[in-house]
Amino acid sequence: MSHLLNRLTYFKNRVSEFSNGHGVLTKEDRTWEDAYRKRWQHDKIVRSTHGANCTGSCSWKIYVKGGIVTWETQQTDYPRTRPDLPNHEPRGCSRGASYSWYLYSGNRLKHPLIRSRLLKAWREARATRTPVAAWASIVETPATRESYVKLRGHGGFVRGNWAEVNEIIASANAYTAKKHGPDRVIGFSPIPAMSMVSYAAGSRYLSLLGGTCMSFYDWYCDLPPASPMTWGEQTDVPESADWYNSGFLMLWGSNVPQTRTPDAHFYTEARYKGAKSVVISPDYSEASKFGDMWLSPKQGTDAALAMAFGHVILKEFYLDRQVEYFQEYARQYTDMPMLVRLVEKDGRLVPGRLLRASDFNGALHEKNNPEWKTIAFDRKSGKVVTPRGSIGFRWGEHGKWNLEEKTADGSETELSISFIDDRDDAVDVAFPYFGNREHDHFTGTDHPDILERRVPVKRLRLNDGDTLVATVFDLLVANYGLDRGLGGEWAAKSYDENTPYTPAWQEKITGVPRDKVIAVARGFADNAEKTRGKSMVILGAGLNHWYHMDMNYRGIINMLVMCGCVGQSGGGWSHYVGQEKLRPQTGWLPLAFGLDWNRPPRQMNSTSFFYAHTDQWRYETLGLDEILSPLAPEGAWSGSLIDFNVRSERMGWLPSAPQLQRNPLDIAKDAATAGLEAKDYVARELKSGELKMSCEDPDDPANWPRNMFVWRSNLLGSSGKGHEYFLKHLLGTAHGVQGKDLGEIGGQKPEEVAWRDEAPEGKLDLLVTIDFRMSTTCVYSDIALPTATWYEKHDLNTSDMHPFIHPLTSAVDPLWECKSDWDIFKGIAKSFSEVAPEVLGVEQDVVLTPIQHDTPGELAQPLGVDEWHKGGAEPIPGKTMPSVAVVERDYPNLYKRFSALGPLMAKIGNGGKGISWNTEHEIEHLKALNGVVTEEGPTKGLARIDSDIDAAEVILMLAPETNGEVAVKAWDALSAITGREHAHLAKPKEDEKIRFRDVVAQPRKIISSPTWSGIESEKVCYNAGYTNVHELIPWRTLTGRQQLYQDHLWMRAFGETLCVYRPPVDTKTIAPVIDEKGNGNKQIVLNFITPHQKWGIHSTYTDNLLMLTLSRGGPIVWLSEDDAKEVGIEDNDWVEAYNTNGALTARAVVSQRVKPGMMMMYHAQEKIVNVPGSEVTGQRGGIHNSVTRTVLKPTHMIGGYAHQAYGFNYYGTVGSNRDEFVIVRKMNKVDWLDAPSKTPEAAE
Amino acid sequence: MHNMTNTYKALSALLSYPTADLKMAANEINEILNQEALAPKRVLDQLAPLINELNTLDLLELQERYVFLFDRTRSLSLHLFEHVHGESRDRGQAMVDLKTLYAQGGLAVDASELPDFLPLFLEYLSTRPAHEASALLAEPLSVIVALKERLAKRKTPYAAVLRILEEMAGHEPKTTELEELRKAPDDDPNDLEALDAAWEDQPVIFGPGEEGCPKIEDMLKRMDTEEALNIQTQTTRS
Repeated sequence: MSHLLNRLTYFKNRVSEFSNGHGVLTKEDRTWEDAYRKRWQHDKIVRSTHGANCTGSCSWKIYVKGGIVTWETQQTDYPRTRPDLPNHEPRGCSRGASYSWYLYSGNRLKHPLIRSRLLKAWREARATRTPVAAWASIVETPATRESYVKLRGHGGFVRGNWAEVNEIIASANAYTAKKHGPDRVIGFSPIPAMSMVSYAAGSRYLSLLGGTCMSFYDWYCDLPPASPMTWGEQTDVPESADWYNSGFLMLWGSNVPQTRTPDAHFYTEARYKGAKSVVISPDYSEASKFGDMWLSPKQGTDAALAMAFGHVILKEFYLDRQVEYFQEYARQYTDMPMLVRLVEKDGRLVPGRLLRASDFNGALHEKNNPEWKTIAFDRKSGKVVTPRGSIGFRWGEHGKWNLEEKTADGSETELSISFIDDRDDAVDVAFPYFGNREHDHFTGTDHPDILERRVPVKRLRLNDGDTLVATVFDLLVANYGLDRGLGGEWAAKSYDENTPYTPAWQEKITGVPRDKVIAVARGFADNAEKTRGKSMVILGAGLNHWYHMDMNYRGIINMLVMCGCVGQSGGGWSHYVGQEKLRPQTGWLPLAFGLDWNRPPRQMNSTSFFYAHTDQWRYETLGLDEILSPLAPEGAWSGSLIDFNVRSERMGWLPSAPQLQRNPLDIAKDAATAGLEAKDYVARELKSGELKMSCEDPDDPANWPRNMFVWRSNLLGSSGKGHEYFLKHLLGTAHGVQGKDLGEIGGQKPEEVAWRDEAPEGKLDLLVTIDFRMSTTCVYSDIALPTATWYEKHDLNTSDMHPFIHPLTSAVDPLWECKSDWDIFKGIAKSFSEVAPEVLGVEQDVVLTPIQHDTPGELAQPLGVDEWHKGGAEPIPGKTMPSVAVVERDYPNLYKRFSALGPLMAKIGNGGKGISWNTEHEIEHLKALNGVVTEEGPTKGLARIDSDIDAAEVILMLAPETNGEVAVKAWDALSAITGREHAHLAKPKEDEKIRFRDVVAQPRKIISSPTWSGIESEKVCYNAGYTNVHELIPWRTLTGRQQLYQDHLWMRAFGETLCVYRPPVDTKTIAPVIDEKGNGNKQIVLNFITPHQKWGIHSTYTDNLLMLTLSRGGPIVWLSEDDAKEVGIEDNDWVEAYNTNGALTARAVVSQRVKPGMMMMYHAQEKIVNVPGSEVTGQRGGIHNSVTRTVLKPTHMIGGYAHQAYGFNYYGTVGSNRDEFVIVRKMNKVDWLDAPSKTPEAAE
Repeated sequence: MHNMTNTYKALSALLSYPTADLKMAANEINEILNQEALAPKRVLDQLAPLINELNTLDLLELQERYVFLFDRTRSLSLHLFEHVHGESRDRGQAMVDLKTLYAQGGLAVDASELPDFLPLFLEYLSTRPAHEASALLAEPLSVIVALKERLAKRKTPYAAVLRILEEMAGHEPKTTELEELRKAPDDDPNDLEALDAAWEDQPVIFGPGEEGCPKIEDMLKRMDTEEALNIQTQTTRS
């Protein structure tokens, strides 16, 4: 054969060896590969994310095979960042990943569960009665009601069917609305930014009903009240990518690698780039490794450290030398040039309120709101002027609310921040000092209560005579204890003098060496000077969970403002406590609170609510004298904490729920009978005392909350400060409260609140929890409804950590009998509309709302506080008392209203944060997109909101962040007020409309909108305050500037006009029990700290065995080696921690990481996993909140005052808990309480 | 329907959430079991207390107990893979395989239940020829036996149902698997807050020791071999 035919033309031989014998081909069977292929086979991939308690929105690919989720991987298709900036991904953390399989977990709640005794009673009653009458017969028969109420937390569940449980819930709601008032139906759900449609489902139902939606951000103590105080903004922070742009990063009381895992890489990358890094944390936390320097102050004394930093910065960068950039920044963007009146108090001069145009003869020609326009001294004209931008310019006129360096009439200005060079005089001004207060566990100094410091002043002729005034800057410098060359006492000439607030002074309190303080302050300010503000502080719960958190925060904010860091990319404050950033907020609000059907909604600040209704106020130990300033102005500062809250509610500062002692559905009728408008009628009745507010007698059954929904939350398992008080008073079941109330100990009773010797136990008629797992809260509920997890529903997530909108997508239908939150509330709404006509028709509901921030009403009480209740003023709704509105409820059509977009959107339009715009075009789009209602009835022709996707489309269509056309309209609306053109920020994206399917295809970046103070662009990362600085939009404060001086009467009374150091308060929970409850083992008293953990929360709960296995498998507390040794505790011993609030049991982790004097227990460890009985209470060992109790702070109750006016989740009392101490000792006996419950009722 | 195996269907019903229908069918179920007699009489007789309770107890009481045992006690979950795969990723594929098996038998899951739900699995077996059914039943036998033991420990009459299944499988459970399951913690959500004492982890003891970390033990063992010692010596010399 020829060579040609011999040779293979189309084949080659499979060679047995290749790559010089390094590779070899064999002929063995390769079917094993099928297993591998099978492993990776799938029918479809779905994008979703995990959101147990996290808005992180980390993209995951969910693989589905045969209708079953088989595996998942991290998705890596986030839009790229710009060149020279690291990309966002990979995102995701071990907590999220470990929760994937929760979908099929044995822990899931699979069917609607209901207490069998309740069900039995219901079926018996229902057999002969109509639904609402059946419910009435149950709760009006004490024995029947008690039969299930007393058993809360003791098991006894059976499966219910949806139709039946919906009817029960609907009947209870209808009965409550008719009998007590719709505001007695309460709903708690946190963090709308994670699964915002699910949140909106419940809040929409409640809002259409007239029920009360409860806040979370303040209650979780994630809200930093210093933010509304300084900026008039709830919280606005840089995205994590902006850390990379920083030159100097401080990580303070925050543990980024542990709690913000997917974002932590930006911190590492910033360090590679060369950014300096200082970590401040009492314990050697995971974050400490990030620090070029680690400072370990005593826990709770951070304000002292911050004040010392500020001392150094002011001295070296403002006094010894004036940095040009800092001076410009202070002049234009801060209240430092604003003038403060000095007033006499007991022969001393003290700083009073900010000077206003109205203080001058002729009001400096200001006709509009002169009481709300602050005053500064202009160097150019040599006169006092009314600079633009203060809040008086925001309302009632156009075009002058901006930060241009101009006066009202348009003349150019250059404001003076100091009178040091052209002073009329230098006088001693008194400042309060709190660092000398006695505390068993915190070291103080022995300086006097009042420190007089010399301040340069000018003398002005005002309406009420000659008055001395000083600039905020000069007061600030004096307060920091700096020497101006004016002589006088308490002015430090060197850092080594022990004078408040020098580095030497703080050393005594915090334990941080002074040289380190000086070095850090210098480095921080030096970097800011060179980079024009690229110094950043990431701060967290370690600072914010203290009673005096405002001082920690304001101390740090002062540093940032002094150095011109806020509003500059790479600079500013980065507060990542809580997950508040609901980016498409203005699109979501109408859906969530039914604003398309009626306004205003009922909203309540949870801290005050739970303080009153779990009766924690009955046990209050903190006296007013312990927190009042020695320089408090004349006034009635007596009473207790709840008295201040009640005064605040009466003056329309904080909201009330329930609102009035009478059913609000009856009040409109009563008003009509009296021939008065509701608002006049309510004012008249309140004044005469015929009508009382519910807050004045929270224990009167007429004022109890009656029905409560909890969804997307483990209220009783994690966030319920004063857990045992919840069990005792709100739920009425077995509890572990150890202390005695004020009645029993003969303590000082409140002045404004009725005292009832018999404390109520079991205020709630019905507790309904919606969850996908049997959480601690479900265990205590009467009805537990099974909901969809993150792979079974459609929803939206946004975060403050990155600018993307991310979907949750249904990979599989809800398993078992689970339904999405949207469908659950739709079902309840439907049942409600069916049962309601038995007792309710179209009703007029009288709704009280507090004076709202970002509305013209915020200009309510400009110069002082007049209580109408004390006869000082007339009760005028919206001015000196809450606003009163009449809202029409169409109860039989509630379901129809729930599932259609109501007419008010077209009639009134939409808006937020003080601006509004027309939405007719968006409504038309939504009708085309979602379809219109075709059924006859009041909703015919309106856009449908049937499914969760329809709901998501409503949000996306209405929000400027996701609809470019709306963004342009919103910026134009703002331009009318500021007189400056802003639409250029959104114009390039005017045609962009982000739909639900778009974010499913790829997470989308939001469009810049005036709802937020940062922008999205190809040039800068999102950073708070950016548009204030670069677009000259004022901050939404009294002065329109970053406000370091807080002049409200109550701020002055409590000594916090300027930042001062205040040691933790004494909660007095140790002494009453330490000698009584011993078990023979040695005891030690430790500060109780509850940080976030690695094994739960921020995307998982603490019941995941995969995660727990990585730790100790159950509740643990961390102790220092020294403390453990002192009381003979060894690592892994069972210990008990207790005080008057209750007790908890846990294993001890003895570690060098922990600073002596403190004990750490990670947040939200579950009672349902591995918790033995407590020797103190005889009950299951309790959760971290078993030893806490809420303590309110009066300055958080201020309202009706520009930036200090109420907003839902914006301002209000907060649930701080780190001032608490516990007694710790080794346990003798670990009792797992395996025997059946011995409750008499249960043994029946 | 293969009449031979109504027993499977009957047992499936007994393990389902108690309803009024089930109460009414209790005696009939007992009769079928005794007629088909797929298990010895002495074993079938153990069912008497459960049948009696279905006849006499209040339905809500029966339901309350069922929810407590099977819905809320993880270690008694009737989802077979809960005990085999738990929250592991393998669970998904295992369920896909089971669904495929049902499909091959011409059936599709109609209820909102997972494929590994024991009553559902038993219903499938009731449609299969007897020999095939008992062979399939033998596969999860160790889980069935473990569940039986846990239920027996709680003195609940449900143990009898699983006892019958054990008998019907006609095999011995795989001892290693069963031992593993026996070691697995048994939880008890009981009256108060869903107690899960069984989930208590063994304390971790770092470093070598009697109950030390297995990895370290292995490392130490390897280091102890002569070969390793030789390497160490050589390294020291060079």
